[in-house]
Amino acid sequence: MTQHLPILSIITLFIGAFIVALIKEKNEMLRNSIVLIVTFLSFIFTLMMYGPIIGKGEIITYWMGNWSPIKDWAIGIGLEVDQLSLFFGLFISLSIVISALYSFRYIEKETGKDKYYVLFLMMSASVMGFIFTGDLFNMYVMIEIMTFASVALTAFRNDRPEAVEAGFKYIAIGSIGSSLILLATVIIYAQFHTLNLAQLAGELYNKYTPITLFALALMIVGYAVKVFAVPTHFVAPDAYMVAPSSISMLFSGIVNKAAVYGILRIIYVVYQSMNLPSMQFLLIFWGTVTMFIGVTMALAQHDFKRLLAFHSISQIGYVITGIGLTTALGITGGLYHALNHTLFKGLLFLCAGAVFYATGTTDLDKLGGLAKRMPQTALIFLIGAFSISGIPPFNGFVSKWIIYQASYEAGYAPVTIIALIVSVMTLASFIKVAQSAFFGQLPKEFKNVEEVPLSMRIPMWIMAVLCIIGGIVPSAVTKYLITPAANAVMNSAKYVEVMMGKDFAAKFYKNIGTAPIIDYKLAGYWQPIAWLILFGILLLAFTMVAVLGGFNPKKFSYADEEDAKYDVFYSGESAEFSHVGGSDLFWGLKYQFRHYFDFMHRIHSGLVNDYALSVVITAAVILLYVFTFVR
Amino acid sequence: MLLLNYITCIILIVLGLYTIVTKKNFMKIVIGMGLLDYGINLLLISVGFKAGGTAPIFTINELDRSSFFVDPVPQALTLTSIVIGACVTALALALVIMINKHYGTLDTDKVRRLKG
Repeated sequence: MTQHLPILSIITLFIGAFIVALIKEKNEMLRNSIVLIVTFLSFIFTLMMYGPIIGKGEIITYWMGNWSPIKDWAIGIGLEVDQLSLFFGLFISLSIVISALYSFRYIEKETGKDKYYVLFLMMSASVMGFIFTGDLFNMYVMIEIMTFASVALTAFRNDRPEAVEAGFKYIAIGSIGSSLILLATVIIYAQFHTLNLAQLAGELYNKYTPITLFALALMIVGYAVKVFAVPTHFVAPDAYMVAPSSISMLFSGIVNKAAVYGILRIIYVVYQSMNLPSMQFLLIFWGTVTMFIGVTMALAQHDFKRLLAFHSISQIGYVITGIGLTTALGITGGLYHALNHTLFKGLLFLCAGAVFYATGTTDLDKLGGLAKRMPQTALIFLIGAFSISGIPPFNGFVSKWIIYQASYEAGYAPVTIIALIVSVMTLASFIKVAQSAFFGQLPKEFKNVEEVPLSMRIPMWIMAVLCIIGGIVPSAVTKYLITPAANAVMNSAKYVEVMMGKDFAAKFYKNIGTAPIIDYKLAGYWQPIAWLILFGILLLAFTMVAVLGGFNPKKFSYADEEDAKYDVFYSGESAEFSHVGGSDLFWGLKYQFRHYFDFMHRIHSGLVNDYALSVVITAAVILLYVFTFVR
Repeated sequence: MLLLNYITCIILIVLGLYTIVTKKNFMKIVIGMGLLDYGINLLLISVGFKAGGTAPIFTINELDRSSFFVDPVPQALTLTSIVIGACVTALALALVIMINKHYGTLDTDKVRRLKG
C-alpha cells in the first residue's frame, strides 16, 4: 500500500478533473462535493506518507508500469518521494484543499465554473506530480501542464481586458521558460541517455563539461522564469492581479513553490553544484536583488493584489537567498520561509479576495474603513501582515531571523543588512495597506458592505492559525518537518541509493552534514539583540510613515454613520472626510527616490516584447556567468 | 547529414526567440513561440537518430544482439512535446482572439494596460 501512495495522491486529482469536466454545469452540488473529496483525498494520501518517510526515514519509490531499472539503467518513469518532496507535498496539498474550500462561495456568481474547477484540479495535480516525480522529462511535462492551467485561470475573467492581456503575457514568457527547460532536458538526454534523476545525479557527479554546464545554465534560467526571480518577474504582478484570489493564492503558494523545489532538486541533488562558491554567490546575489526590487516596487503600488504580488516576488528572494547559503542553517531558513510564505501570502490573497467579494474593487485609493464592516477579515489581514513583516510571535519572524543569522554567519553581512531593510519596507507598505483599506473613514458607497460568508472565513482562519502556530512552536515545526527536509537536501546520496541500488551510489558520495533543530534560542526569541533589531525595524517603519508620509487629505462626502461614536474626532470642528489614499501615504519617499522609481516604472513597460527580451538577456548573462566561473 | 539537423534546429530556436522579442504583432509572437518549439522538437528527434537503424518495433522474441534500431525514447518524448506545443499554440491563439475583441488591435504597443 505505502508504495502506491504517491501515484494515488496525484491521480485522484487528475481523475477528479475529468469527472468534473463530464458533469459540466448540470449539478453544482455534486461537482463541488467531488472537488472537495478529491482534494481532501489527495491531502490524506500525502499525509499517510508522513509516517514512513519522515517518521521512519524511508524513501518511497514507485515505477510506473513496473519498469524498474535493469543493470543500473533506468528507462521507465519513476516516482520518488523523499523528505524534501514530502515537505513540499504536505503544504501544497493543504493549500489546495483550503483554496478549494474558499472557491465555492468566492466564484459563485461567475460563469464557466465547471471550466474553473477542471483547470483548478489540473493545476493542482500537475504540481503534485512535479513534486513527486523522479524523472527529468516528467518534470517538464508537469511544469508545462501547470503553466498551461495557470494561464487559462489567469484569463478566467475574460470579460475584463486586463485578464486576457495578462494571460497572453504569461503564456509568452512562461513558454519561453518551459522551452529552456526542455532544451536543457534534451541536451542532458543526448549526453547520458537517461532521464532518471537519481541515475543522472550519479552520472553528473563532479562532471563539469561544457555541455553539462550549458544544460545547467538553461535549467537555472528556466526555473527562474517559473519562480519569477527579478529580471524575469514582470508577468507575475499582472497575472496575480487579474486572476481570481483563490488562484492568486495558489500561484504564490504552489506554482512558485514548485519552481523553488525544481531549483533545489536540480542544483542540489542532480548537479550537486552547491559546494562551489560561484554557484552560492549566484543564488545569494540573485535572491538579494529579487527581494529588494520586489519590495520597492510594492511600495509604489496602489492596487491591493498587485502590491501583494510584488511582495510575493520579494519574499521568494528570501527563499532563494536562504537556499543559496548552503549552510545547514541557511537551507533550514529557506525551507521554513517557503512554508511560511505559502501560509501568510495565501492568507493575504484570501483577504484581498474577501475585500473584492464584499466591495467589488481592490483599488486602495477607493477603499477605506472596512474594519468596521468586516472586523474578522481585518483581524485576519493584520495577522497576515504581521507575519510577512516578521513581527514576533508570528511565523515570518522565525524564518527571517534564521535567514539573517545564516547569512551573517556565512560572511554575507551586506545581505543581512539588505534583508533587514527589505523587512522594514515590507512592514511600511503593509501599514499603508492596513491604513488605506481597513482603517480610516468608510467611503459612502461601501456603507452597506457585509462580512464575507462563513465558508470563506473558515479557510482564512485555518491559515491564520497555522501562521501563529509556525511562530509559537518553531522547534516542533523544524523537528517534524523542516530538519528532515533540509537533511534530505544535503545528503542526496540516499536519494540515489534507494532508486538505483547501493553499489551504484557508493561510487560517488560522502555525507555533508546535518541540519540543526531550531529551538527558541536559534529562532531568536531569547536574544536581546533580536528585540533591539525588532525595535529598530518598528521605529524606522513608523518614522517613514510619520516623516516622509505627509498627509494629503482628500475632501469628499463621508459615509453617514448612524452612530457618531465611531467617527474620527477633529478637536471640536465639524468632521470632514480626510482619508489618506493608498498612493498618497509615501509620496515623500517616492519623491526622494523619484529617479529610481521612474526607471523602475519605465522597465515595467507592459510590453510583452520587452519582457521576453529580459528573459533572453537573463539567459545570456547566466550562460556567460556559468561558463566563466563554474568549474 | 545529422550536423545539418543540429544547425537547422539552432537556427529555428534563435529565429523563434528573435521573432518573440522584435515583432510587435501578437500573431507573429505566437508564430515565434511555434518556431521555438519546432526547433527543440527537431533537436529531440535528431538526438535519437542512428544512421541505418530501423524503426524500434519488435516483439520480445525478435529482439537479439544483432538488431539495430534508433533510440525509441526521444520519439516518445517528441510526440509528447508536439502535443504540448499544439495546446500552447491553441491557447495562445484563443487569447489573441480575445485581445482583438477587447482592444480592437493586434499591436503589442497598444495592449499595455497593465504596467508600472
